[in-house]
Amino acid sequence: MTELITALAVLFVTAGAFLLVANHFSLSPVPFYILAGLVAGTFLDQPELIELAQWGIAFLVFVFGFTVDFKSLQAVIRDSEAAAVTQLIIVAPVAFAVATIYGFDTLNAVYFSVAATLSSTIVGAGLLEHEIRDNLVHGRLASSVHFFDDLLAIGLILVLSAEAYTTTQVTSKIGFGVLFLIAALLVYRHIFPLLVRLAGDSDELVMMGSISILIGFLAGAELAGLSMVVGAFAAGISIRSDDASTIGVLNGIESIKDFFVAIFFVTVGALVSVPDLEVFIVAATLTALVLFVNPFVIMLSFVYEGYDARTAFLASSTLNQVSELSLVIAIQAALAGAISETLFEAIILAAAITMILTSVARRHEETVYSTFVEGLFAGRLTRKIDERSDVDEGLEDHVVIIGYGRQGRRVVETCERLGREYVVIENDPVLWDDMRAECRNYVLGDAMSSYPWEKAHVEDATLVMSTVDHRPVSKSVLEVDTPAEVILRASTSEVARDLLSGGAGYVSVPNILASDQLATVVQSTLDGDRSLDQIREEHLDQFETLERYGFGSRVGDD
Amino acid sequence: MNEIALAADFAIIVVVATVVGLIARQTGQPTIIAYILTGLILGPVMFDIVTEDALVENMAELGLGFLLFLLGMKMRFDDIREILRPIVNIAVWQTILQTALALAVAWALGFDPTEIIIIALATVFGATPIIVKILTDKDEITSLPGKIDVGVLIVQDIYLVVVLALLGADSLGNPTEIAQTLGVIAVMMTFIGLFSIASSRYLLPQLFRRVADNKDVFLIVAIAWAFLFIAISEQFDLSLEVGAFLAGISIAQLPYSKELEDRITPITDFFILVFFASIGLQLEAGELLAYWREAVIASIVLMVGNFWIMFSLINREDFSVETSFLGSINMIQVSEFSLVVGSLAVAQDFIDNDVLGYLSLMALLTMSVSTYIISYNHAIYARVQPWFERFESDDKEDVDLSVYENHAIAIGYDEITEGALPMLEEKYGEVVIIDRQTDHIETLEEEGRYEYIYGDFRHGEIRKEANLKNASFVLSSTVQSEVNKALLEEVNDDATVFVEAERIDDARELYDRGADYVIMSTYLTAAKLSEYVEQYFDDRTSLEKSFERDIARIEREEPVDIEAERQKRTGGDDDD
Repeated sequence: MTELITALAVLFVTAGAFLLVANHFSLSPVPFYILAGLVAGTFLDQPELIELAQWGIAFLVFVFGFTVDFKSLQAVIRDSEAAAVTQLIIVAPVAFAVATIYGFDTLNAVYFSVAATLSSTIVGAGLLEHEIRDNLVHGRLASSVHFFDDLLAIGLILVLSAEAYTTTQVTSKIGFGVLFLIAALLVYRHIFPLLVRLAGDSDELVMMGSISILIGFLAGAELAGLSMVVGAFAAGISIRSDDASTIGVLNGIESIKDFFVAIFFVTVGALVSVPDLEVFIVAATLTALVLFVNPFVIMLSFVYEGYDARTAFLASSTLNQVSELSLVIAIQAALAGAISETLFEAIILAAAITMILTSVARRHEETVYSTFVEGLFAGRLTRKIDERSDVDEGLEDHVVIIGYGRQGRRVVETCERLGREYVVIENDPVLWDDMRAECRNYVLGDAMSSYPWEKAHVEDATLVMSTVDHRPVSKSVLEVDTPAEVILRASTSEVARDLLSGGAGYVSVPNILASDQLATVVQSTLDGDRSLDQIREEHLDQFETLERYGFGSRVGDD
Repeated sequence: MNEIALAADFAIIVVVATVVGLIARQTGQPTIIAYILTGLILGPVMFDIVTEDALVENMAELGLGFLLFLLGMKMRFDDIREILRPIVNIAVWQTILQTALALAVAWALGFDPTEIIIIALATVFGATPIIVKILTDKDEITSLPGKIDVGVLIVQDIYLVVVLALLGADSLGNPTEIAQTLGVIAVMMTFIGLFSIASSRYLLPQLFRRVADNKDVFLIVAIAWAFLFIAISEQFDLSLEVGAFLAGISIAQLPYSKELEDRITPITDFFILVFFASIGLQLEAGELLAYWREAVIASIVLMVGNFWIMFSLINREDFSVETSFLGSINMIQVSEFSLVVGSLAVAQDFIDNDVLGYLSLMALLTMSVSTYIISYNHAIYARVQPWFERFESDDKEDVDLSVYENHAIAIGYDEITEGALPMLEEKYGEVVIIDRQTDHIETLEEEGRYEYIYGDFRHGEIRKEANLKNASFVLSSTVQSEVNKALLEEVNDDATVFVEAERIDDARELYDRGADYVIMSTYLTAAKLSEYVEQYFDDRTSLEKSFERDIARIEREEPVDIEAERQKRTGGDDDD
């Protein structure tokens, strides 16, 4: 057995043990890889390991490239605009100034501020999985900022790969970057489809072909003097495919990625020697910036944009960790000898610390919010809600509808048809224009704080109907003091039972409704009552009706 | 910049292998042949661009490790339980007889004694990747001949691991030493093997149950497990392959192994390419062709000879003539392990590169010819059937294999699918549920009513296991439209397919692609809610009735569950 294999054995066994710990406490794996590296450091002193770790970087960015959803880009820019600008004009300069005070030169100060500004996708997305699935506003906001940060990181890497920061150098890098994107589009249009066709049904060949494309782009990046990250990203874009048959291939590449990425993160951890005081101070400063300053500034910008305080707080509090792409930038700078060792080690330490703390902190964010943040905005909030709401003063016996997604809209439409009064409570400013145009009464605010309820005259309402499938929201609806009947929504009957015993009059469970419907359809097809063609036609007709009334796919979720 | 390393020899190998692979694909040849050819093209035989540097060597070794890990993981004894006894008989005798035949052929061709022994050990017939790949493509892997072949290959692999361990050992000077080494290997393997069995009983089920829901952790912990065994076998002076193989076996019997197999396969594909290419890289033109006449003669003799060995062995177990014929004609190529054994023997200086060249050439010849033979196995049988009828007799009968056929598949076990399952069971007899969540699988296991497969539907291995192609009814409760599209593409045209969608656009596309019904819970709920609002104002009594009915439905705890629970608890003491 060679030394490399022995080193890999040490690496994976240590990483595996640490992952078990991470998994036990439901924490993100990334910081635990780094910790595993710190612990196993001395055994992992292998130049070949660094080569494998670089494959980790390549695959990490490659996979990011083909999972990027360009269709959502517009929405992302809409969501993250303000936050991103705030990051760039406030957080980055502050961090730059701090680094300069510590005596770093300009380039190192840039690295410092990059690490302080960008936040992480893998860790963040893992944490937000629930929120994104439940279509909560803060989940969407945070993931938009993550996405923006990732694109920004790749742009930065492109610029930072210049040997000297003259205008010609930097523009030529950007020029090459554009050329790479064009090449990627050409491969996407012509070469990749050809590859899929030639490979027939062999997933193995399509996968090796995709990796060959990756290698081609990496080689091109090297020739052009660009960072491999740029090449890998372009390669990722070029193998995007809507073809359902490549689904297995993409999964295969993800497996290879996971293997190399583990090597990458552990190796990164192993590069840190025992930190001395200086490293420690820099790391602590960076941690403080990432953990407090960055999210706080972003929260302010979200609030300024019109989001309610809770959403702003929750969205920004998932942005408080060092990005794994910052690690990529740091390690590339270290390999090129452009970053000071102190800063390099500090960035890695800060990354590990912030990634762990952010997962832990998530469990206490509600407490943090109600103790510290809520009071901060109290006065401002009621004013803001007043500004952005429109409720008839003499409202009585009305329906309070929470959420203005597809279900909310449908209920609004029914109320209007029946000539009943209603108020919509929604916390997504993106839907504000729609509400202004379509709803008679609406409150733009957070159903989990009390003022919007007051505003909606809930004490005089006859029915409260929530279309939001999120337990904390349902719980706070139940706590509202009202004589009205309360209808909630839940994803499983288990949650529904809990809400019913908590005082809800009725809980709608979409899964159960779907299940009943499904059972009816299955039964009638099995019995031969109605043919499938008939059912399909009816269903398609229904779609058209729905779309005519504006309940189509473009409308917000739920 | 430091990145030059990435574009080095390894990268060139991957790119050239892909190109050669694509060309080979057009002629119906398997990728393994393309990979060996890649090595020959890049190595001294042709252009001599790439030398086998340290990284390439390491990646080749990793590939081998992963290959054996994967192989171990495929050793699910449940799969071949029904025909285990005949298979063991066939496999043991096949190994003995073909080794003897290879030995005789090598002796007749005039190799020297050490070479003869190595050649005899290395010439194993039946290449798993080729047979499994082609039979899967032809949808015959679960047929009886396919099962027999796979079973024989599994048993054969145990033999190969012993051979590998033997060749990897340091002292093999004389018969006593060999015997000693064999003894040590046996003891060590038993020891690690026991550890592997014990852990698969007591440690791994809990361990993997905890991590299986987290995709990334799951994979890395499994790889860590493999490396742990590799490190242990290193301590015992056994080869990396043995450790990886035993680690695989310990995972194989868990319900999570299929899913894991699907995640490890791409990594194996990636590295094993380097391994096969590195064999080609080692050879000079002179070495490859040193024994070309011998290789051609041996290939022909062994292909014919091994066909008859297999045929008579399967036939002896009273399977039908057709099964015997198909089962044996699939197995007429040199195993990829010949090359593994051969290159290990070169590394240990038992043979020189000429003999490895001989083995490689034989592998190339037999594999490329057999690809066509397997592809046309039924046509060939139809031609020769009259002659083979002489082996027919009345007491020959094929075992009935339990294969999912005309069954119903449910993807995802949740409140949506649950209600429809009893109806499907009644209509189609068999319902197979695919789910990737350990707690769902546990519920299913407790209920014991439906068949289930743990794993992600995106993985080909899982779809194959559920025999998606032959299903009559598929019910998917995932809203991920790429999964549903892949489903619609692969499923039989006559099958009824119900899928779920979140948005109207997706639903329409799914209908276009042939879905029979698209479930849309969001719109359904929206309609229901607005109906309730209407009733709230106009018709309170019927609203109350609706509420009562729905709430009863929500609060209903399946009475069947409790009954099943009780039975399980009382009956559970007897077995285990």
